[in-house]
Amino acid sequence: MSAPAAPVVGPTDVEPQEEAKTQSTFARLWFQHYDLVILPAIIVLVLGFLFVYVSTRQLDTIELRVLAPDNVLGLLRQHLLLAALSTILVLIIAVPVGILLSRRAARRVQGPVLAIGGFAQALPPFGVLLLMAFAFNFGVTTAVIGLTLAALLPVLRNTVIGLQQVDQSLIEAARGMGMSSRQTLFRVELPLAVPVIVAGLRVALVLNVGTATLASYIGAGGLGELVQQALRLNRINVLLVAGGIIAAVALLIDWLAGVAERVVVARSG
Amino acid sequence: MSDTADQTVVETPQGAGKSDMIVLEGVEKIYPGSTAPAVSQLDMAIPQGEIVMLIGPSGCGKTTTLKMINRLIEPTSGRILLDGKDVTHVNGDSLRREIGYVIQQGGLFPHFSIADNIGVVPKMLGWDKQRIRERADELLHLVGLEPSVFRDRYPRQLSGGQQQRIGVARALAADPPVMLMDEPFGAIDPITRDRLQDEFLEIQRTVGKTIAFVTHDLQEAVKLGDKIAVFATGRLEQYADPETILTRPANDFVSDFVGGGAAVRRLSLLDLARLELQPIETDEKAAGSRNGTAVVEIDGSGKPVSWRHLPSGDAAGTPLVTVPISGTVYDAVDVMLDGGASLVAVVDEEGRAQGVLHWNDLVGGLRTRARGA
Repeated sequence: MSAPAAPVVGPTDVEPQEEAKTQSTFARLWFQHYDLVILPAIIVLVLGFLFVYVSTRQLDTIELRVLAPDNVLGLLRQHLLLAALSTILVLIIAVPVGILLSRRAARRVQGPVLAIGGFAQALPPFGVLLLMAFAFNFGVTTAVIGLTLAALLPVLRNTVIGLQQVDQSLIEAARGMGMSSRQTLFRVELPLAVPVIVAGLRVALVLNVGTATLASYIGAGGLGELVQQALRLNRINVLLVAGGIIAAVALLIDWLAGVAERVVVARSG
Repeated sequence: MSDTADQTVVETPQGAGKSDMIVLEGVEKIYPGSTAPAVSQLDMAIPQGEIVMLIGPSGCGKTTTLKMINRLIEPTSGRILLDGKDVTHVNGDSLRREIGYVIQQGGLFPHFSIADNIGVVPKMLGWDKQRIRERADELLHLVGLEPSVFRDRYPRQLSGGQQQRIGVARALAADPPVMLMDEPFGAIDPITRDRLQDEFLEIQRTVGKTIAFVTHDLQEAVKLGDKIAVFATGRLEQYADPETILTRPANDFVSDFVGGGAAVRRLSLLDLARLELQPIETDEKAAGSRNGTAVVEIDGSGKPVSWRHLPSGDAAGTPLVTVPISGTVYDAVDVMLDGGASLVAVVDEEGRAQGVLHWNDLVGGLRTRARGA
């Protein structure tokens, strides 16, 4: 494994032994996680091609205006904000509800509540967004609420499952040593459920990044706006760029969440 | 064998100034939705510093009984006294912090380092960090694991036996007077289990805790227990020292549970280290007292090579056989039969003679020493 020489920054008088250690740590990390490099490489490649392609075209003023960095970056920021806000809301709602549902007293309502979550997820997000916009308001708030509803289930379900799969003997050990049920929850059950909960959050986040494309239809902006502009103006180059960016953002976010997931799993063993 | 049992010295004579540490008075547990009690009208007292083994078939109530002592399971009725204090209605969490608790495989928290696992109870009791760390190191030493190596490891990096040692260390962390152990060595391979049991007894010799210990393994019960409580479907069938359980079962249930061949089985359950052996002397210092004491000739390294004098005479005609003191009476008998000798020299790890076990001792009643003596 001729790993690219680790950029050993720092004093040159580092003991050779220590240097070897850094090298081997780097090599080990590389060996365990080299698959993480594949996706960003593909994204960079595709975006590069897109960039080269577009820059060889003769763009008219409309195209130039729509594809101006200010416009694209502004929409990208809106898009990420929509996804981030709704995912945070999902986290705030679904995790506590999931915890409550996993308590022994709530075992009976667990099934029905999860079923409602499943129902919410089965609804087509586009329809929900439109209906909500008519029922309440067009705009960011409604979009965020709609996105949140659509992405509740994965986190809710994973919180319940994550807590349920904690080894009962560990809970018994915790109680047997005198931990209160609250201490047991926060010091034993939740930390051990975190990898599963994080996996659910990753699904919710990716779902939200994708669905946020539809938010532009109720006036909440985002990268969907770019698609709409391209379609309205009938500019195929813009559509190409919009599609490329949306795909790249979704993949990149999923990749980042995947990295975060690995870090969390590695930490909690 | 019944008449020899009378001569058997019970390890801890009753009424020898030991107070009862754990007392169960008319304790009963009826689970919701069930009519038959899981444990019914149980009266039991565990003297301070003793190991009591709770044994019986599954569903007999032994684990329920154990968990009622620290109120992980709340008794339906009855009283539980700990060191004379009624704890039936005190706060369960703080009660449990003062009782050591060990479960199968140790129940270590996988996301805590070894030191943090040991420090769980001290931390809840509000000890400062320095004290918790020192205590963890001390306990790692006690269970035979080098602190500098193991302190910062995680449970998954340890073998099952090592995890179980940490489980015991964790239960001892806040130095509780009482420990409850729920089949702690149940899921461990027989060889490691045997070693853990030896180490456990060794530790108990230094810490002298009052221990209630659930097991389904009769051999373990006899080996570790000062007393054995045999349970059947919620009732305590017999509560006595191991010798009595094996030789004088109180009823058919206990005798069935103990099984046939109890007298022979007992031999393999009796550690030589626990026996009062007949004295043995080496040739140099034996000059004066040659009458009732066996004398061996030793070589340069102190190992016995032959009998010089035997109380029964004929030292020259008796082959010298030895058995390590870590073995059991069963091993000793095996060696005697194999070597055609009517007595065996018991030797320590360095091979030095520690005492003599005579064939007649077997039929005349074996005397066990008080533990820690």
